[in-house]
Amino acid sequence: MADVAQQILLSEIAFSYRSQNARVLDIDRLSIDAGEQVAFIGATGAGKTTLLRLIDGRLFGWTGRAEVLGRTLSPRRAAPRNWNANIGFVFQEYALIERSTVYQNVRNGRLGRTHSALSLVGLFSDRDETAVTEAINDVGLSDLADQRVDQLSGGQRQRVAVARCLAQEPKVLIADEPVSSLDPTSAEKVLDLVRACAEARGATLLISSHQPKLVAQYVDRVVGLKEGQIAFDTPAGAVTPEQLGSLYGWHVADTAARSA
Amino acid sequence: MTSEQRISQQRRRVADWSGFMVTVTVGVLVVWAWVATDIDTGRLADSGGRIGAFLGRMFPPDWSVLPTVIDGSLETFHIALLGTIASIVLSLVLGVLAARTVTPPFIHMPLKWLLAAIRAIPLILVAMLMVGAVGLGPLPGILAIAFHSTGMLAKFYAEAIEGIPAGSLAALDSAGATWLQKLRFGAWPLIAPDLVRDTLFRFELNIRESLVLGLVGAGGIGFYIQTYVRTFQYDKAATLTIVVVIFVVLIELVNHVVRAALK
Repeated sequence: MADVAQQILLSEIAFSYRSQNARVLDIDRLSIDAGEQVAFIGATGAGKTTLLRLIDGRLFGWTGRAEVLGRTLSPRRAAPRNWNANIGFVFQEYALIERSTVYQNVRNGRLGRTHSALSLVGLFSDRDETAVTEAINDVGLSDLADQRVDQLSGGQRQRVAVARCLAQEPKVLIADEPVSSLDPTSAEKVLDLVRACAEARGATLLISSHQPKLVAQYVDRVVGLKEGQIAFDTPAGAVTPEQLGSLYGWHVADTAARSA
Repeated sequence: MTSEQRISQQRRRVADWSGFMVTVTVGVLVVWAWVATDIDTGRLADSGGRIGAFLGRMFPPDWSVLPTVIDGSLETFHIALLGTIASIVLSLVLGVLAARTVTPPFIHMPLKWLLAAIRAIPLILVAMLMVGAVGLGPLPGILAIAFHSTGMLAKFYAEAIEGIPAGSLAALDSAGATWLQKLRFGAWPLIAPDLVRDTLFRFELNIRESLVLGLVGAGGIGFYIQTYVRTFQYDKAATLTIVVVIFVVLIELVNHVVRAALK
């Protein structure tokens, strides 16, 4: 297939924070096709979150060329809301509205799709309501729909955040360290859920994590980031201990011990 | 001993020493105030009889002034209510502009200083200036309350806005929410209970403080306080005192119930 739509294409991307000299992102080329499932791994500060924010259209002040979902991103201006709605983002710390209910939080995922003025007076379309209900069902929280989210556990909150993202009906589903604040059992449940939902909807899935072993089981491609650069980019099964060691600055012997 | 232990021990010593210094300082201030005001404790003891006579003249209260006193209290209530509402409008604008997370430092820092300066001016002084500016009656009272309470309310609003976690709003950005949608579905549910609580608290303060506005001709019950006490009509002043106490307690009760509901 010569012409699978390249959904995401970054070239010659460079970004640094104004106060620092060090490059936070320094990417020659990264191309991701529609429907791919990719994990971004690397130590804290390797640029994972920054890269995902760039793809989500919420990073400004970078140089280079970035095309996402057929749109050339501007390093200065925010993208139109229709485009934003096509890219869903699950945050590490859930980023929910604490005093709102599960239903209200998930409905916030529709804000980019619905009529802006009508939504302000509380009017949402049937399509919106259906998408919200389905998303809540998909993450298994129907019984808690009217609970305030500040009464939920961490795992439940992250499922609310996933539902909010699903209600957006995204073409690209980004999850930034979605399980780093969760215990291992909840973490696996959330990752299962995220992958199943992305597959069911045919969405491209991008997950970042500093738990390479865990997240590699859920994707088909792993991109290693170190100091803002792509250290390696391989199929999920082919990541070597040496590659992981290079990302985290372990010695190889150490790596063997850790993977044992 | 490790260096950490040594540091914590030093800290503890500093804490002990500073506690002693605070005690000494407070003691010195109290003695100074006592000596400087030249209080004659003997006079306090001698005046027991006079205080008794004075209280006696308040009894029985003269209920004939009840309608007048209730009218005056209502006017005070209206002044506090309108003043508070005007202050809410001002504070919403100034509060947003004074929030560190919304505006750059060259806007929010001078604004915070300005609010601190407004808080520092006593209400009675503001009221006197307003009477000078717009004449006698409830209007200068309303303006004085609006001005005076904005110093506190705008600061509270700014702090509530600063307390919004940035991530929560970024999530709405990511979903494609407009600026107004972010305000309505992100900021508002997070801060509304705080704003309502702060506003009720300020309203209660405004009721109490506006009791004295009438002393300088800025409307309300204060006019009668002054009239009855200066003309030695203590029986009428007694009626007034009872009404004011009931009035303030009622407002406090309502506030208490509303605040409890907001938890």
